[in-house]
Amino acid sequence: MYRGEKKSIFYVLGLYLSSTLLLITTIFVSYYYYERDQFEHSEKDLLRKYTLLLTQQLSTLNENSSQKYKYPRFDEFESAIYDIDKNLIFSTNRDINITNFKDSFFIKESNSYLLSPLTPYYFGAAFIIIEKKSKNLNILNNLIFIAIVTIIITLITSIFLVNLVLKPMRENIKLLDNFIKDTTHELNTPITAILTNIETINSSSCDEKTLRKLQRIKIASQSISNIYEDLVYLLLNHKTSTQNIDLNLREMLHQRVEYFTNMATAKNIDLLLDAKEDIDFKADKKKMQRLIDNLLSNAIKYSYKSTNIRVVLNETTLSIEDEGKGMSEQEVKKIFTRYLRFDKSQGGFGMGYSIIKAIADEYEIKIDIVSKETHGTKVTLSW
Amino acid sequence: MVKILSFFLLLCISLGASEFDKNCFDCHSQDFKFHIIMNKYTLKFSSEKRIKEAMFDYLREPSLDKSILPLEYIQKFGLKEKSPLDDKTLREMIDIYYEKFNLQSKLF
Repeated sequence: MYRGEKKSIFYVLGLYLSSTLLLITTIFVSYYYYERDQFEHSEKDLLRKYTLLLTQQLSTLNENSSQKYKYPRFDEFESAIYDIDKNLIFSTNRDINITNFKDSFFIKESNSYLLSPLTPYYFGAAFIIIEKKSKNLNILNNLIFIAIVTIIITLITSIFLVNLVLKPMRENIKLLDNFIKDTTHELNTPITAILTNIETINSSSCDEKTLRKLQRIKIASQSISNIYEDLVYLLLNHKTSTQNIDLNLREMLHQRVEYFTNMATAKNIDLLLDAKEDIDFKADKKKMQRLIDNLLSNAIKYSYKSTNIRVVLNETTLSIEDEGKGMSEQEVKKIFTRYLRFDKSQGGFGMGYSIIKAIADEYEIKIDIVSKETHGTKVTLSW
Repeated sequence: MVKILSFFLLLCISLGASEFDKNCFDCHSQDFKFHIIMNKYTLKFSSEKRIKEAMFDYLREPSLDKSILPLEYIQKFGLKEKSPLDDKTLREMIDIYYEKFNLQSKLF
């Protein structure tokens, strides 16, 4: 999986899933309300029939003249009658206690109620209330189950779709990656050849002009070599084994400063190294070299001409301070983003700080950057 | 104690009933269909309070529009005369009448 692919998959999945979820929720909510309406409608119809039945019975009962009247009772429902002032006249169920005479139909504690006005007032009844055990509307559990199944199916389909969508992009990136890898590999031999041959040229046999030209070729080759090393680190980072050994940072710094001296001299920059003590640090030699090289080459790249770069090594810190164009606060915040370059006039790919950050994170090294525009930047590594 | 109370209660009822007999049966004969009148009032006015109020209104000032009897009946027999009873007695008599004949208490 290439870098960023995971992110793309998450984004597309998120988008696909959230829109599907929204759609499912809308459909299900609408369906639920539709079903509930249907349910209420059928309940209301039934309760209306019961009301009619009770009204007929009350009417018949009222026509008879008697000392006592047996209130009509039914197995299917309970009922109660209220007078016009909302006083209870008779109820077949003591639990029927209506206080709200506004709603004609309502469901309370799994019972359905229908309140209907009555005229004429048989036995004084101005309102009839019918109570019936309501059927359970069991669709909610089913809906949740269907929703979960739908989401799982959507998830599987979306993963398949995302893979399908990303396939051409992945192939292109793979092609590009392979190309870069091959190119990088092909670069190695000529760079090594140039650098080795420059080293073997006898400087005493050259005149001063040729010597300056050779010096420039050497610096340019070193720059290419640095880029090559960065590329190798980025491309093969996860494929090469790390060999952590005790490194003498002072020695290493001396070596790297010497290596960059030519580059610095070309801009009339003095590399001042202050590393008195031998400091041991357990790390992979190549990685530490990449870390230091990137810090030094950045410092040289962004330094003004005829300035100093101070490299100070202490027991727990290494700081590299240049007198260059510096960065704004926003730029410092974004500095570790790969391929981001603030100054397009300088060469490079913007990989430097992302490599520095990756290596520093691996060895739990803290990076502090203090920078002031037009004054310079101080990078401090502490461990 | 219970006996005394029961006796007192019976006395009250019998006294009330005799008052009702005296004040109502003067004009209405024993075979007057009290329960039919109550049924008609109940069908029209529903609650005890409204029934009693409507009866009182009618007996105090009988009129065609206050009457619950069919027009033909009134045309044949004419409107009832105004009750000679004072307001307090009339209300008491209506209370006794409601107590004796109301339909709601007959439901079981």
